[in-house]
Amino acid sequence: MPYQIDNRPADTRESLYFPEIFRAIGLVVKTFWRNAFFSRDGNTDILERNRVRNRVTTLQYPEEKAPYPAGYRGLHRLVPRPDGSPRCVACYMCATACPAQCIYIEAAEVEGDPIEKYPAKFVIDELRCVVCGFCVEACPKDAIRMDTGEHPAPTYTREGQIYDEKRLLRGPPVSYEKDPWLVRPSKLTDAAQKANRAAARPFGTLGTDEYSQTPGFSVRELAAEAKARGEVGK
Amino acid sequence: MKRFVGMWLVIGAVLVGLVGLFAAFYALAALAAKGAVALGFPGFFGSSIVNAVTLMAVTLMTLAALLTVAERKWSAAMQDRIGANRILVLGKFPLGGVPYLLADALKMLTKESIYPAARSKFLFELAPVLAFSPTFALFAVIPVGPEIRAMGQTVGMWVANPDAGLLWIFALAGLSVYGTTLAGWASNSRVGMLGAVRASAQMISYEVSLGLSLVGVMIAYRTVNLQAMAIAQGADVLGPVPALGILLQPLGFLVFFTSSFAETKRAPFDLPEGESEIVGYFLEYSGMKFGLLFLAEFVEVVILAAVTAAVFLGGWHPVFFEGWMKANLDPLLFGAICAAAFLAKVILLTWLQLIIRWLLPRFRYDQIQGLCWKLLLPGALVNVFVTGAAVLVDPSLQVLAWIGVAEIVAIFGITLAVSKPQAAHGDAHGHAAHAAGH
Ligand code: SF4
Ligand code: SF4
Repeated sequence: MPYQIDNRPADTRESLYFPEIFRAIGLVVKTFWRNAFFSRDGNTDILERNRVRNRVTTLQYPEEKAPYPAGYRGLHRLVPRPDGSPRCVACYMCATACPAQCIYIEAAEVEGDPIEKYPAKFVIDELRCVVCGFCVEACPKDAIRMDTGEHPAPTYTREGQIYDEKRLLRGPPVSYEKDPWLVRPSKLTDAAQKANRAAARPFGTLGTDEYSQTPGFSVRELAAEAKARGEVGK
Repeated sequence: MKRFVGMWLVIGAVLVGLVGLFAAFYALAALAAKGAVALGFPGFFGSSIVNAVTLMAVTLMTLAALLTVAERKWSAAMQDRIGANRILVLGKFPLGGVPYLLADALKMLTKESIYPAARSKFLFELAPVLAFSPTFALFAVIPVGPEIRAMGQTVGMWVANPDAGLLWIFALAGLSVYGTTLAGWASNSRVGMLGAVRASAQMISYEVSLGLSLVGVMIAYRTVNLQAMAIAQGADVLGPVPALGILLQPLGFLVFFTSSFAETKRAPFDLPEGESEIVGYFLEYSGMKFGLLFLAEFVEVVILAAVTAAVFLGGWHPVFFEGWMKANLDPLLFGAICAAAFLAKVILLTWLQLIIRWLLPRFRYDQIQGLCWKLLLPGALVNVFVTGAAVLVDPSLQVLAWIGVAEIVAIFGITLAVSKPQAAHGDAHGHAAHAAGH
């Protein structure tokens, strides 16, 4: 608690040093006694903690995480449809809106469908992202959200911060009344749907490098492909 | 509640462990004394050699090393933190941060030793040794336990028992300033030199009040031998209350504790190494040489606690139930309990030092010298005269004890008599003084 220190000159008792020091020793001993002999309330919401006995405010970070406020813009995710394929229709609105230009999309046509597109590649460079949330606002299909409540997991390499569609596609599927796939059945085979759902990672709880690494995802390969297309160095 | 009980269990286990440890030490010393007698030497030759290993190499070094852990964990508890707990043994048990000790040692030993090019080669190597060894050797004269008879031998729990015990302490404590000063000088760095100069000025000043504060004790117990002093503290003076140094010499205790605290160069007296301004006299040291300088400081802390416990807190006297234990227990066990009591006092005093270390911010340099010359030195001088007069009047120490009680009551009274700060009045006062200044 902040308190006012009045700026008066020390009186005789205070300028003897020792009496004040004794009193302060008493205070520290009390604090020590409380913290050493009573167990800590591990409530992650520190303000809610019971600090009557033990006054420790430490949050043991990777094990205990402070709850984020509602509306916190976390790591992006691509919202899946019930069949596990992305809701995204590769319209490039988010990539256009992005002020950091960190979204890279390659559109592909859905086989056997004259209209619909899907993102063959959807890559977000989280290191360049400024977490503005414009992409979420821009999306006409509610296909990209920042509702994971996570931050990008720390990685040892910069490449690890580049999230492709395999890593982004996760979380609970979302559907609306007018969504076409509710009217006409999914074009995917049952096996493909099942595989899709199995591949979608759940919301993580522990952000570690290994955990967020999608098997088969290789930034080097992406870079090599881009090079082959002559896109590097422009 | 679980933790509460657990902590008391830990404390109990530590005490019992100490008793067991010292029982073993006594037995070892007795065995060695027996061996020495068998070889035709006096018995204390053997026990002293064994004690040098058990007390200095094992007890003192373990305490000093554990203090690095305590510095982490205890200070954390004092500051509403948790402290180092990331090394998990078997992936689960932080063990109170003790494994950090091994990590520290490993780090110190494997670090690169960097040598400043312009150093004074010989002195640069010598300084850590000079800083470490005198402090280390101080422990030799500390009587950790009483003299007992075990296995037909008379053994004591000390390495040496010279008649000039306290003088040895003064001499060696004075020597340890060389290590500090030479470390700063030999590394040929301006900042290191600054630290060294500060250290020498501070330590020489406090040497004076350190010496004077113990004169009162010497007068009261009429000896400078630490073992004799410890025995004298067991005698009853006010009814059943023993003549503890802190009872007879509260002022001496305060002055001694403060001055020797300043000698250890730790906060709030850490000007020689003030990390935030000059890094200090060991700035140019790295690897294990730095480790030695660093460890010397922790050893100093333990030694200071040991000397204070020996001179002022009744030495190895457990104080409570002592007569009963002496009469009813096996001498070996009694000796072990006494030694454990001594070590418990030492641990308590190191804890107190850590509290003070985390309590007070660093003094300004003029405040340090002011505290020494204006407060501690006069206090010590008054103490010497009062003690001398009291002992002259009444050699049975009764008068001195009453004076001590009066001093303790006065100190308590002054401490508890907090004037309610009258903010408005104080402010007006401050402004008036301010205006007068212009
Ligand atoms: S949050 Fe902002 S910067 Fe990040 S990807 Fe979306 S639009 Fe781009
Ligand atoms: S995420 Fe939304 S805005 Fe971005 S391309 Fe897909 S459908 Fe368009």
